[in-house]
Amino acid sequence: MQKKRVRKSFIYSKKVAPYVFILPFLITFAVFYVYCIISMVGMSFQNVPAHAWVGLKNYKIVKNAVFIKSLRNSIFYTIVSCALMIPIPLVLAALLNSQEMRAKTTFRSILFIPALTSVVVAGVVFRLMFGELPGSFMNKFINIFGAGPLVWLRTPGTVWLALFFICMWRWTGVNMMYYLAGIQQIPSDLYESAEVDGASRWQQFFYVTLPLLKPTAIYVLTISIFGGMAMFSESYMLFNGNKSPNNVGTTLVGFLYRMGLEQNQLGIGSAVGVIFLLIVIGINLVQLTMNGTIGKKKED
Amino acid sequence: MKKNAKVRSVRLFILFLIVAAITLLPLALLFVASLRPGSELMRNGLNFDIDWVHANFDEYKLLFSGKNAYFSWYKNSLMITIVQTALSLFLSAWVAYGFAMYEFKGKNLFFIFVLMVMMVPTEVILLPLYKLIIGMHLINSMWGIILPYVVVPMMVFFFRQYLSGLPKELIDAGRVDGCSEYGIFFKIILPLMKPSFAAMGIYEGMSSWNNFLWPMIVINKMDKITLPVGLQSLLSPYGNNYDILIAGSCFAIIPILILFVCFQKYFIAGMTAGSVKG
Amino acid sequence: MKKLMSGILVSAMAVSTVLGGMTAFADDGSTQGTNTFVDGGTDIQFWTFQELHVPFWTSMADEWNKQNPDRPINMTVTTGESHALQEKLLTACAAGEGTPDMADIEIGYYGSFLNGQYLIPIDDAVEPYKDDIVYSRVAMYGDGEHVYGADFHLGATVTYYNMDIMNEAGIDPATINTWDDFHEAGKTVLEKTGKPMATVEVSDLFLPQAMLLEKGVQYVDADGNPNIATQEHADVINFIREMLADGTIQITPGGGFHTEEWYGFMNGGGCASITIPLWYMGRFTDYMTDLKGKMAIYPMPVWNDGDVHEVLQGGTGTSVIKGTENEQLCKDFLAFAKLSKEGCTYEWKELGFDPIRTELWDDPAITEDPDNKFLQFFTTNPFDILKANGTDLTAPDISGSYSATYSVLVSTTYANAFENSVDEDAMELLQNEQDTIVY
Repeated sequence: MQKKRVRKSFIYSKKVAPYVFILPFLITFAVFYVYCIISMVGMSFQNVPAHAWVGLKNYKIVKNAVFIKSLRNSIFYTIVSCALMIPIPLVLAALLNSQEMRAKTTFRSILFIPALTSVVVAGVVFRLMFGELPGSFMNKFINIFGAGPLVWLRTPGTVWLALFFICMWRWTGVNMMYYLAGIQQIPSDLYESAEVDGASRWQQFFYVTLPLLKPTAIYVLTISIFGGMAMFSESYMLFNGNKSPNNVGTTLVGFLYRMGLEQNQLGIGSAVGVIFLLIVIGINLVQLTMNGTIGKKKED
Repeated sequence: MKKNAKVRSVRLFILFLIVAAITLLPLALLFVASLRPGSELMRNGLNFDIDWVHANFDEYKLLFSGKNAYFSWYKNSLMITIVQTALSLFLSAWVAYGFAMYEFKGKNLFFIFVLMVMMVPTEVILLPLYKLIIGMHLINSMWGIILPYVVVPMMVFFFRQYLSGLPKELIDAGRVDGCSEYGIFFKIILPLMKPSFAAMGIYEGMSSWNNFLWPMIVINKMDKITLPVGLQSLLSPYGNNYDILIAGSCFAIIPILILFVCFQKYFIAGMTAGSVKG
Repeated sequence: MKKLMSGILVSAMAVSTVLGGMTAFADDGSTQGTNTFVDGGTDIQFWTFQELHVPFWTSMADEWNKQNPDRPINMTVTTGESHALQEKLLTACAAGEGTPDMADIEIGYYGSFLNGQYLIPIDDAVEPYKDDIVYSRVAMYGDGEHVYGADFHLGATVTYYNMDIMNEAGIDPATINTWDDFHEAGKTVLEKTGKPMATVEVSDLFLPQAMLLEKGVQYVDADGNPNIATQEHADVINFIREMLADGTIQITPGGGFHTEEWYGFMNGGGCASITIPLWYMGRFTDYMTDLKGKMAIYPMPVWNDGDVHEVLQGGTGTSVIKGTENEQLCKDFLAFAKLSKEGCTYEWKELGFDPIRTELWDDPAITEDPDNKFLQFFTTNPFDILKANGTDLTAPDISGSYSATYSVLVSTTYANAFENSVDEDAMELLQNEQDTIVY
């Protein structure tokens, strides 16, 4: 009884309580992240499931043409999706926020709807829209201009078109919402004084809105980069499996999935995972150094 | 000047009308398609050509006929979404409270860990995590899907921000009233967090409901798979499942759409929470 | 807070009750099948990727229970999408958890299961049937030492001709003997009807594999290593490229012979022929019904006059998965279902699968059955081809790296060879492709 009370008061003490509060995080962090990363690094030097050490053999995968292609695909997808998904929603947000705009909330909601759909549903629709039949929506559409029909999903250029379409369709609304939240935090007297100074709309946009939206833009950039590098499901749905013709849509995660789960080569898959991790750390380091201020801001 | 504004207003309106049309187009296509037989769709392509005389709800009748596993997938997904959302809301708030309201040794280091997890896409550790889940005998279990993501760093981050905005006097007042450290959390803090719970609950619910890759890996029994995984499995070269696929895809969106219309404010707050004060 | 929590709980309960009600009648959905329940029977879990196989397994279980009242089974057959289900099976095997007792495994994936040693040898169960069947069809699901699986059918590759088109072009398929004849005939067909003679897949491998097997060459070498960069393979690719170049063949709509785009195209009389195994008859009767009475089956062309090399393609090996508690029962049932007269008769009658048991080829009750929907559909009799071919047949070697090789072939090699890099030297292309196979 005495002991129990001591234990109880120990747990209830103000010194111990914070650790009890953050304990769930510490456990999941240790088990699911730290342990997993250590075991991944270990497996990457092994022949799994035999668990014999094979040195750097698994890392020979960096010379594999499909690996290189999937890495290139991921990087390309990331760069282009950032180039699309940062400026376009920004402009839309600024326009939507302008005084003359009618039915703001309705349009805002409509643009947000795609974000509610699962990638699977989006994939099904886009797979069919970009079908190769003359009657498929996109083929009918380009037929208006006398072109096509195209085999959209087996031709490298048009595959990317479909992938970027999905990406834009699903995320334009969300990114726009981020910017809107940012814009609404800009004090309106800034615009008023700009107007007094005779600044045109465009000047206001460039000299007031843009600089003040920098933090939001950086946040959007960050999630776009990680979303882009981790892209898998969109490609999986578009090609009905991790098997895009000629690997036109195979991404880094797709390659990792193929090695580890489809071909049961966990050693090689782990090596790909380690490379992926290094890339992610690299991106983070670049970002943190470029935006040292952001890093500090989060600390306080 | 006034006329100018009107022209601008009309131009803007038309622009957004076009954007909205493009946005709704795929969903409209899907809905129109759900009124036609699936096999016809696969042979002629997805488009707006529909013979309205023969349009019918047969696909939906088939969907509800019980001759398929659609609703057991629905149930699996719903179950996982509810448990995952409830658990992660509670635990993330619990952890965030620790970070927001206390000063303790290692606090900054531990919070850097939170940020680190936020900065690494979960796909990176897909394979070791999968092996770990096998080792823990959680394959084919709902917990295999939920446990690794039960504390969501994004939510911890968001809740911590939210809690930092609350006056610390509340806690002192609670202590004076004789509440224990945990009693303060349950009795004083949790009720105050309601608005942020709604936003984060929707954020987490949405991502759980639509989650695809991880549930696909963890569950390998066809009767235990989730709705997105099940829908994907209907895209098969063997057998005609297109009716269920199309009608089922439509029906997967409808409940969320209804929720969205009712709780729009929270949806938008939840989905965009990450950027606020970011 | 309590209010909020209880609110969440109540609504959660309400929703799940509603859905529970809905699913109550979905429990015996078509994704699962069971045989007639036998009291005291052993429960057997079975996975298949093909819905058509479900009634086969449940009827065979009933038949087994009739003949073996002392060892009855209660079978539950689960189906799902092909690709997904095989991946799930593989991950389940790797995890050693959640595996069924038995499963259908598509040929392209079989090698992975062999390599992982997830299957149980069935030699002793097959032994009693050995002399009555084309044994190479069973032996191919093995490692040379043991066999692990049995197929549904023989899978003899033939050529199906659309006689409307052939007649319009004035060509009798019986005169097409070699691939050169085929090519020449294709030119006439194209000239007279404007339609291609055939199509070639880019997301599957039936035509090039058949051609390669006719040359006696496999995709993997004797040690199981990938072996796609061979001169013979390059010759095959060049031959197909020539036909593509002059339009006598096209790329298959949809990329493969199991897509709706292709079914619609062929059904509409879009092309004169398809070279694929006899088990494809069921696709005609199910998905290309407009072609009834118009299709004729002939032997596939060969490379040189006088060649009699016949090949087997495609297929599904049914195997007993390690971890089952009823090893012997599963093995015996498997051999019975796949290799007995009852099983083979069912497979032919219901599924249109060319029987693996040779006695059926000479049984007029089978070969001349006027009620058989497959015999009704086609204007020639497939058994004539089986009898002419005999039992010395070349089966694909699916050991070693076959699965990894297959996945590269159907995702990149043929897409590159026929669609994306048609000008690249075939040998060079094959060597590059071979280098990407991870084994």
